[in-house]
Amino acid sequence: MHSSLNPQSPPPDPTLVSRRRFLGFGIGAIGALIASALGIPLVGYAISPALKKKKEDWAEAGSVAGFQPLQPKKIEYSAFRKDGWIEETVKKSAWVILRDGGDVTVYDPRCTHLGCAYRWDESRKSFLCPCHDGVFDINGKVVSGPPPRPLDRLQAKIESGKLFIMEG
Amino acid sequence: MLDRAYQWIDDRLGIDPIIRDVVDHPVPEHVNPAIHPRSIVYCFGGLTFFIFTLLITTGIFLTMYYVPTPDHAYDSVRYITDELTLGSIVRGIHHWSASGIVIMVVLHMLRVYAQGAYKAPREMNWMVGVGLLMVVMGFGFTGYLLPWDQKAYWATTVGTKMASQVPVVGHYLLLILRGGEDLGAVTLARFYSFHIWFLPGAAVTLLGLHFLMVRRQGISGPL
Repeated sequence: MHSSLNPQSPPPDPTLVSRRRFLGFGIGAIGALIASALGIPLVGYAISPALKKKKEDWAEAGSVAGFQPLQPKKIEYSAFRKDGWIEETVKKSAWVILRDGGDVTVYDPRCTHLGCAYRWDESRKSFLCPCHDGVFDINGKVVSGPPPRPLDRLQAKIESGKLFIMEG
Repeated sequence: MLDRAYQWIDDRLGIDPIIRDVVDHPVPEHVNPAIHPRSIVYCFGGLTFFIFTLLITTGIFLTMYYVPTPDHAYDSVRYITDELTLGSIVRGIHHWSASGIVIMVVLHMLRVYAQGAYKAPREMNWMVGVGLLMVVMGFGFTGYLLPWDQKAYWATTVGTKMASQVPVVGHYLLLILRGGEDLGAVTLARFYSFHIWFLPGAAVTLLGLHFLMVRRQGISGPL
């Protein structure tokens, strides 16, 4: 630089931001702007499944005519399922218990221990899981065995003799 | 803060000369738009590369949800566009950049052609550039099929049928392009494979050569 060779020119002020540095910041700022204009949509897109609220809907699970109160019964029903862009009807099952007064209890058919299918034993009045001898009573409470929590209940209702189970 | 991080790395690896050589070199006056506004034509190649980086980035993200089978291609594209948060933006950037890069490539070629910058000693770089033009066209042709909608299906039906008009080997070309007599699952899978593996590989290789040659030979002199 000519000016630095000139003995008359004052020494450069170290606190001063040089033009070169200033322009460097400018380029950096514009770069950051472009990067975020691209980066924000990409991140939103990638994490989108975590941002989605689960869709809940009632699935019709058939008539409850002929069900005895306090007599657990395993039912099979069809539910609508959305797996990304794949929409399909899947077969599901559940344990249904009619209560006195028209209430209904529905249990998820998987044992809360490791997900095995359990069955109702009429003589012992208990749900028995064959895998690791988990035992639940009619209210879903753990009687014995390894299950860490009571049977999972599904939200359900009866309307004009038909059972509806909440899916989602 | 950033300066200190840079310093820390430089102390260990001595990257300063490399960085200087790659990004910190003077731009000749005749190609600097700040001095001659008409020099904006020298930006076309850089803009082409910028759009290329947009396409690569959004393309990588699109593969996260897109599935290249006749069962799922159309539905997964719908899912990306209509259901994912900002999915229409990501796909939109890819879609518009695809048209944009063709426009920029053509402008870049016109500039090089009009200025005679392809002449000795830069003929090799022109040839690599023509290779890149073919790669960009290949990207366009294969990418057009992937949404698997009516436009995609029939455009590719016509495009592959054109290849069958080549004398003698035409029908074999059609079979190779389609992976069979008819457009179907095999066609979609191989177009996808070309679109995301073969062509990007070729593009990156040729771009590397393209840039190395520009740096080695410098930008052609003023008209």
